Amino acid sequence: MNDPRNRQYTNSEITVFWKPSKCIHATTCFRELIEVFNPGRRPWVNMKGSTTRRISEVVNKCPTQALIWKYNKDLSESEKLAQREVSKEEENPQTLGKPSPEKNPLVKPVNVRIMKDGPIVVEGKFRILGKDGIELNSSQMTSFCRCGNSKDMPYCDGIHRKIGFTDEPF
Amino acid sequence: MDEKNATFTILANGPLEITGFFRIADSAGKIIEKKGPVLLCRCGESANKPFCDDSHKRIGFSE
Repeated sequence: MNDPRNRQYTNSEITVFWKPSKCIHATTCFRELIEVFNPGRRPWVNMKGSTTRRISEVVNKCPTQALIWKYNKDLSESEKLAQREVSKEEENPQTLGKPSPEKNPLVKPVNVRIMKDGPIVVEGKFRILGKDGIELNSSQMTSFCRCGNSKDMPYCDGIHRKIGFTDEPF
Repeated sequence: MDEKNATFTILANGPLEITGFFRIADSAGKIIEKKGPVLLCRCGESANKPFCDDSHKRIGFSE
């Protein structure tokens, strides 16, 4: 389950995951390493407060799974994505009173259609970033390959039909 | 650049990342996911299509 209160904190080597729903307040973490784990501060985890080795050592002492850690190289794509979203938020904190896109009629959502047994078709105003963050040209409508076999990656070239690509899990 | 504009990032040998303001629907037009960000499978091997489940790593997907 994805509790919105869950957080992750990272340094260059590891990421510490925090799940408040599992915490039993044994207080092991901040008694051992207040430089990193300080419930009186926001955010309460400061990954610069100590070494990776010491942080992982203390996290291992958590009696529940409220605090766990992973090497950054072992993060799943979803976990890496959550990391990028956290960094963006830290760089550009949302201020109160800023209109959200849902309420602002001038910002229209881009329509993304997952074609059955076919590509991802996108219409609207959007940016495409390729390798090394370089912006690719996009038209008002673009199809991205989902079968993995296009000779025109990342775009669809119709080969999904020939190879019989399907959505059915196998 | 308005941060809320939808941005599609092609992750090298990995999924398509979509952030910003967008709507995802199936081919019939039924909305399947509205809140971003999402990772869509590009290798064709995910057991959780259209979403990425890291299968690209398992198969060594290379575009």
